[in-house]
Amino acid sequence: MALILEHIDIRVDDIAFLDDVSLTFKRGGLYTVLGRTLAGKTTLLRAIAGLQQPQKGTLTLNGKDYLHLPVWKRRVAMVYQQFINYPHLTVLANVAFPLRRAGVPAEEAKRRAMEVLDMVGLADFETRRPSALSGGQQQRVALARALVKRAEILLLDEPLVNLDYKLREQLREEFQNIFEGQDDAIVVYTTTEPAEAIQLGHELIIMDKGAVIQKGKPLAVFNAPATIRCAKIINDPPINIFDGAIENGAIQLQGSVLLPIPPHLAHLPQGTYCFGLRTSDLSLGGVIGSKVELSEISGSQTILHLSADIGAFILFEDGVSQHAIGSTVQVNLDSDRIYAFSPRGDLIAAPAITEN
Amino acid sequence: MAKIELSDIAHTYEPDSDEPTYALKSLNLVWKDGGTYALLGPSGCGKTTMLNIVSGLIHPSQGKILFDGVDFTHFPTAKRNIAQVFQFPVIYTLMSVEENLAFPLVCRHMPQPERTRRVHEVAQLLNLTDKLKRPARKLAADEKQLISLGRGLVRNDVSALLLDEPLTVIDPQLKFEIRRKLKRINELYGLTMIYVTHDQNEAMTFADTIIVMSDGELIQSGTPQELYNRPETTYVGYFIGSPAMNFIECVPADDRLQTAGGSIPIPSNVSIPAGVGNLKIGIRPRNVKFAESKDAMAIKGQVNMVQEFGNCRVVTVRIQEEIIRMKLNPGTAIPSGEVSLDLPEDKVCIYANDVLIHQDR
Amino acid sequence: MKSLYLVLKYLAILLWSSFVALPFLWALTTSFKTSNGVTGGATYIPWLQYEPSLEGWKVLVRTGGQGINIVAPFISSAIVTLSASLISMVLGTLAAYGLSRFSYRLGFVKNSDITFFFIAQRIMPPIVLAIPFFLMLQFLGLLDTIPGLILVYVALLLPIATWVMVDFFNNVPPQIDEMALIDGCNPIGAFVRVILPNSLPGIMVGGLFCVMFGWNDFFFAFTLTFTKTQLLPVAVVALNSSVTPWWSLSASALVSVAPLVIIAFVVERFLSSGNMAGAIR
Repeated sequence: MALILEHIDIRVDDIAFLDDVSLTFKRGGLYTVLGRTLAGKTTLLRAIAGLQQPQKGTLTLNGKDYLHLPVWKRRVAMVYQQFINYPHLTVLANVAFPLRRAGVPAEEAKRRAMEVLDMVGLADFETRRPSALSGGQQQRVALARALVKRAEILLLDEPLVNLDYKLREQLREEFQNIFEGQDDAIVVYTTTEPAEAIQLGHELIIMDKGAVIQKGKPLAVFNAPATIRCAKIINDPPINIFDGAIENGAIQLQGSVLLPIPPHLAHLPQGTYCFGLRTSDLSLGGVIGSKVELSEISGSQTILHLSADIGAFILFEDGVSQHAIGSTVQVNLDSDRIYAFSPRGDLIAAPAITEN
Repeated sequence: MAKIELSDIAHTYEPDSDEPTYALKSLNLVWKDGGTYALLGPSGCGKTTMLNIVSGLIHPSQGKILFDGVDFTHFPTAKRNIAQVFQFPVIYTLMSVEENLAFPLVCRHMPQPERTRRVHEVAQLLNLTDKLKRPARKLAADEKQLISLGRGLVRNDVSALLLDEPLTVIDPQLKFEIRRKLKRINELYGLTMIYVTHDQNEAMTFADTIIVMSDGELIQSGTPQELYNRPETTYVGYFIGSPAMNFIECVPADDRLQTAGGSIPIPSNVSIPAGVGNLKIGIRPRNVKFAESKDAMAIKGQVNMVQEFGNCRVVTVRIQEEIIRMKLNPGTAIPSGEVSLDLPEDKVCIYANDVLIHQDR
Repeated sequence: MKSLYLVLKYLAILLWSSFVALPFLWALTTSFKTSNGVTGGATYIPWLQYEPSLEGWKVLVRTGGQGINIVAPFISSAIVTLSASLISMVLGTLAAYGLSRFSYRLGFVKNSDITFFFIAQRIMPPIVLAIPFFLMLQFLGLLDTIPGLILVYVALLLPIATWVMVDFFNNVPPQIDEMALIDGCNPIGAFVRVILPNSLPGIMVGGLFCVMFGWNDFFFAFTLTFTKTQLLPVAVVALNSSVTPWWSLSASALVSVAPLVIIAFVVERFLSSGNMAGAIR
């Protein structure tokens, strides 16, 4: 079973909410869609659910036209960002609602609803109203209602974004367990956080300005982002980019900084490139003098915002230390971890992945 | 610039009921002039209540608040010289960016040349100079939030800047930028800044001192390092750090602490009081390592789950009924089958009844 | 300082309550009087100053001869008001849902303009509409009939119903409609099963307004009826003559006001009882 979108276009007032999007979703797959706000993630889900009609393109499920099927005939379930529950119904009635609409007898609907409520950890809450619950609990009710339908397509639109940080961590793990059990459905989960997208998904899709700019296995996309834009979206903090060139057998960065060419870039011809390096791949104790613009502490690491001739960049230092603003530190770039992008932004070479 | 003191402050929203629930239970705090503080805690812990008491939007049920030693408890907000930035950008929709920033100065009858100078100064700090003439409502959410922030900064009589979860509407990638600007503002203007959040990352990167709150009470107050390395209670250990601190139940056995899967030596300068119950070993996921040598007494367990996050991987190890999480660099080898864990002595904290046992001097 | 404020506060409340309540109290005491009681000068307290009697009340239900039958006009008013309110609320709710959820555009006319157009109907002084309505009903042969009055009242109450309901629907997030669609309801089902139950407070309030305006209307009841149909406000005013039976007049005035007071009381209780707590998030 597959849900196939081909050349879907949704434009409103000249703004492309979805720009020539073609995607295939397979049964049993867990897809995460990563992108910044207004990238088109919500519009994508709404198009799949039928809440927004594309101006162009086709949408088929198992070869049958899905585009012209009205919302209530599509077997989809959706969880919104804002906790959406029926305020006038109890938790149990909320979860049983779709089953009753589908004609399931009251007794069985109640039984199945209780089962799912148990799965999301709300077994004792069935007589309460959603307004009496906390944010996390309301979202669990919404999730329960989405799961009880055993729909073919399960859509989640940044479901954790309005929750407390710690609650988000907890629910993410619960999601992982719950989604493992959804072998028959297509699950599509959107988020703005790279860590979430990589952790949850079997397939990761990066969207930007309405278009799909990369898709693939999460770690594959992380290790080899297709463009500078992809690299910036999938890294938090964003990847550092340095303008430079390969000349005379060395990497030349701005300010006459030379680096040896690492093995994975040895085959590249001379020319101008944009070099990318993650914040965790720079370290102190090298030869590049840099001025400290800002120093932040995060748990067991120090985040240094630096500027040097090679450009402005961010570095993660293990351990906690104080650096005065304006002081100079020596920085080392791990050339084995350098990405090479063309000046236009396409990936030319990525570092080798060390996996044991 | 002000030193802010909260003296025996408590607050309830139901003063007339027989058994009122206190949103803020009695607490005392001192915020030094020019310091950066974060109020960290989950929803409902009282942090917003505290902020509103400082800014004057709420009168506390009891206690006093002092600015530089002067009792301001009953002064209205306007007289407190506080600038507050809220969760959602507050802008005057019918004005341009420049007019928005100038508004507080217009209200205070500041003369024109001085006004323009200050507005431009703040606009430059916030990178809004090229957007000054645009209608404020047309800007993106993060820029609108910068305008809210800017309005607080143009005034030259601001003693403290209060920020109530200001980065809620901002994209994760842009949060960095704004946090950097906030830090610069603190450096440049020396304002006391108080930042309320439920996101421990934000608190840790922003503040010099973090105040962890739960259920209206102050749990621990200290630098990010202190809270990270030596959480006073298991709650702080859980709340700070991602993933949360690991806690393993144990009982003392000779000079070791026995858990369900093995034991570790009691850390050298920690003495376990006799007869105390409910002991837990606390250790951060980043500090747990796979044991190199085959120590027969080491804690052992089974690898349950591996979560990839791109720039790290989190391994969940099951030890009987409990689990330990390990935060490892990507590409770290994960042994199969039963694994032995190494818990370095200097990174272990021991908790009795959920309170840290301090090291002997 | 605080106690002075308290005294002033209660004084103000007392004064205003008296201003509102005294006319009713006066009508109440008067309705229990007889012609004898009126001649002896102003009297207020029953049993002490005069002998109360139910004569003024009994006359209201007596038909023919000495009787002032108030029962028939009461029933006519009830039928007209309730029917017109019901029809207005049904049509108004449906219209309001459309105005809240869908975007209409014709040239420069958009949703808010249409809603305003509805409300603007009530700005017109009733006298402007008297003659057109008269001629229209005459043409339809519905003058002096209950259906004719219902028709006119629907025209008058529909804007109120629409106005109240548009506001209420705007406060229900459209995502709830979408969720109902996703859960398998067609648009009508979503409206009936999800939106309406959520808008119960609005329906109560809208219904109350309609009933209030309809029941109290004198002008159209007066101009559009003669002999066959008579509504309550007109019947009460008609009691005025050279020999006005003050006690019956007072009694009928109280009878006119009573139903609304009871309905308003019931609705207010219902709204604040917390039944609606779940509906208004």
